[in-house]
Amino acid sequence: MPRGLRRFWRSTRTARAISIVSFLVGWQLLIPLLPTALIPTPFEVGEFMWAELRADTLAPETVYQAFATSLRRLVTGFGIALLIGIPIGLLMGLFKRVEEFLHDFVVVGLAMPSLVWALIAAMWFGFVERSSIITVILASVTFVIINVSEGVRAVPKDLLDMGRAYGTSDLHRVRHVVLPSLMPFLFASLRYGLANGWKGLVLAEIYASTSGAGWTIRFWYDARRAQGVIGYALFFMIFALLAERLVFRRLSDRVFRWRPSQDQPPPEAEGSVQVNI
Amino acid sequence: MASIKVQSLRKEFVTSDSTVVALENASFEASGHVFVSIVGPSGCGKSTLLNILSGIETPTSGIAEITEGDKKARNGYVFQAARLLPWRTVMDNLLFVQKDRDAETRERCQRYLEMVDLGHTANKYPGQLSGGMQQRVGIARAFSIEPDVLLMDEPFSHLDAITGRSLRKELHHIWMETRKTVLFVTHDVGEAVELSNRMVIFGQGGRLREDMKIDLPFPRDPADDAVALTKANVLRTFEELDLVAS
Ligand SMILES: Nc1ncnc2c1ncn2[C@@H]1O[C@H](COP(=O)(O)OP(=O)(O)OP(=O)(O)O)[C@@H](O)[C@H]1O
Ligand SMILES: [Mg+2]
Repeated sequence: MPRGLRRFWRSTRTARAISIVSFLVGWQLLIPLLPTALIPTPFEVGEFMWAELRADTLAPETVYQAFATSLRRLVTGFGIALLIGIPIGLLMGLFKRVEEFLHDFVVVGLAMPSLVWALIAAMWFGFVERSSIITVILASVTFVIINVSEGVRAVPKDLLDMGRAYGTSDLHRVRHVVLPSLMPFLFASLRYGLANGWKGLVLAEIYASTSGAGWTIRFWYDARRAQGVIGYALFFMIFALLAERLVFRRLSDRVFRWRPSQDQPPPEAEGSVQVNI
Repeated sequence: MASIKVQSLRKEFVTSDSTVVALENASFEASGHVFVSIVGPSGCGKSTLLNILSGIETPTSGIAEITEGDKKARNGYVFQAARLLPWRTVMDNLLFVQKDRDAETRERCQRYLEMVDLGHTANKYPGQLSGGMQQRVGIARAFSIEPDVLLMDEPFSHLDAITGRSLRKELHHIWMETRKTVLFVTHDVGEAVELSNRMVIFGQGGRLREDMKIDLPFPRDPADDAVALTKANVLRTFEELDLVAS
């Protein structure tokens, strides 16, 4: 075999591509043998997604509108979660009493399935914009609180002492020592808070909304259009990947430029809380 | 001329279940162009003394002050670990402890980086430097504020023998050049004999047990007979004082 071909054959990327292609081919070939109309072929799913991307859809919202609506709710809800969570996290990290007082609530909040938040919000607030946003807040705020409070406790005391020995001002130390050392924890809360908020949001839209990506996947489910459900599931994946590549990775490369090597583990701090349920 | 004054100094650490007396009636003075080494058993309060002098800790009672003329002196502090901000470049680490950030200050920082042979690392992050280089940045930082007094807490004990040796030489040169007052805590009697012209031995609670002059000519080669002899004498004094922690 020529060298180029051999390298191509050996590369892991080739192996992965082959595995995906054979999965799709197997799927395509298997479907006609099954006695059901509810499993679409990959071709049908592709056709559906392509039509959606051209904004040609039977649903009340195009894929762009649906995701824009959901994104707006996610950002609003998570923004509020930050506004609530950061001060509480700071207080919990700074004062043992506050920590003792709130600890159990936060742990319960972390462990609560997003579905519960979605149901509660739907029950109390009904089919309004508010209930989706409140679900996002409830599903993400504990991640912000716990990470910020862990971060406060992990502020390097030796560096604060160093600053004090050199007679720097409090403000100077907060800006150059405390905030940078909190960044990995804020980042962890961003990543896991948004992920959990997003899961909650989709459920909230299914139960208590008439728009958004969650509601649209429900629309296809009610219409018994499996390619719609699977197509939307794939859109969710693409959406998550884009968010990871375009937002998180760039942001983290920028913020953590100082880390020795670029191919180190993700920027989550040791001790940051990443439970996901 | 800077002077250090410690008088009947007491420091207690109160924790939830006990009270530790780190310093009890510690007294000690030094001023001018001296290099004072402080040695003593582990836990006798050496670091605590430097922390109080630098303002990190407050004394329980007694006096601990460093003055320059009739003002409070400006101290440089070199810690056992470098204590650099990992998220700031080497230059920004030096700027972090400066009063001003003007071009003149930058130039001065650059000069002190060059003094420890690290001029080329100004824009690197600490994580990109070796342990010895980081420690040198810590030393450059201490000198870059042009302090009246330099406090050093076992600054070379984490380094390998070769790096430690070259840094000791460097430190000696800088001390001769800048004529500062240096307070140097160490466990290594050889190091103390090599660098200092005065050596104090602390017992438990920071009580002054022995205060000796070391009148050997610089530079001192550890292999030199006179230096080796002095070191042996100090070690004997150690044994006589029976300082092994109780
Ligand atoms: N923050 C603190 N809280 C409680 N106890 C402390 C604290 N800092 C120091 N101590 C105690 O005070 C005593 C003196 O400590 P210090 O660090 O000053 O000793 P040292 O002479 O520097 O010892 P070493 O040579 O091992 O560095 C020790 O018994 C130590 O346990
Ligand atoms: Mg010590």
